[in-house]
Amino acid sequence: MQAANVPDGDVLVILRHPPHGSSWLREGLDAALVAAAFGQAVSLLFQGDGVLALLKGQGQGPLGQKGTSATLDMLAMYDIESLFLDATSLARLGLSTDSLQLPAIPLEPPSIAALIAGHRLVLTF
Amino acid sequence: MILHILNRSPSSSLVYREALASMGPEDRLLLVEDGVQGALVSQARHFEVISGRLFALREDLVAHGLDGHCDASVQVVDVDGFVALTEEADKTVSWF
Amino acid sequence: MPSTGVDRYLWVGGHRIALDPEGYLVELDDWTPAVASAMAVEEGRELTDEHWEVLMVLRDFYARYEASPAMRPLVKAVGQSLGSEKGRSLHLMRLFPESPAKVAARLAGLPKPANCL
Repeated sequence: MQAANVPDGDVLVILRHPPHGSSWLREGLDAALVAAAFGQAVSLLFQGDGVLALLKGQGQGPLGQKGTSATLDMLAMYDIESLFLDATSLARLGLSTDSLQLPAIPLEPPSIAALIAGHRLVLTF
Repeated sequence: MILHILNRSPSSSLVYREALASMGPEDRLLLVEDGVQGALVSQARHFEVISGRLFALREDLVAHGLDGHCDASVQVVDVDGFVALTEEADKTVSWF
Repeated sequence: MPSTGVDRYLWVGGHRIALDPEGYLVELDDWTPAVASAMAVEEGRELTDEHWEVLMVLRDFYARYEASPAMRPLVKAVGQSLGSEKGRSLHLMRLFPESPAKVAARLAGLPKPANCL
């Protein structure tokens, strides 16, 4: 398998947790927004259950807890447009990119390694 | 070379799969905390694809009573060895 | 958003408006243009049409994204809505000296921007 073309950047945030249930996803997105607000070139990689964060049609929690879909829409306003997902993670959940809210690019393992290598700082959430 | 650090056991968390999928051909994986359970003879097969690049932290192995139960494919390092691995790496990525 | 505690009140048209210690609304639903004007007067600012259009961009931003923008996305949002001439930090600095993202969010009745200098 050849590595696809992936961009270099300052910060790669790996999001491995789904919306709701924990604050990991929100904290990871906040870290990405802060880095971008300071002018860093930020990329996101959705991996494991984190790919669920990209699904269309998410909403609030049953008690009115804020969802993440508005924050995902806001990423473009912070110029965070370098979005990737782990293709294997998505396939394991039986989902396809048609179900996603944002156009994240599916990556196979060699490209994921290249993405990580191409960023100065890698933060996992 | 990137040093990946895993602190979850492969028998209780699937995060090891993402760690493996994210490793380049020169990258190394260090097992720490509960991650050292992956060094067991029965568990080390999960890490076959990175044969020769799998490390486990001795202090955590001892704490878990697993020193002496490690698979031969696992390279055991102490804290000084951990520091040396970190120094040799371009950066570290944590999996938890 | 959970609000912080009430620090003081602003009286606007017979209504009591709760403000937090940094002058942001405690209840975001309290906002009206009259509230914004009263906050501005208190700070010695005069709101012109150029101020109001930025406040409206901010309110739209919050309605859509459920968050107050930092400076960079604020500049981008203003540029998208009001044109590239106004989508510049210089323009916003002139209208809202000190810290445009914080000052304008306060006057627009939004929470304090979280990821801001």
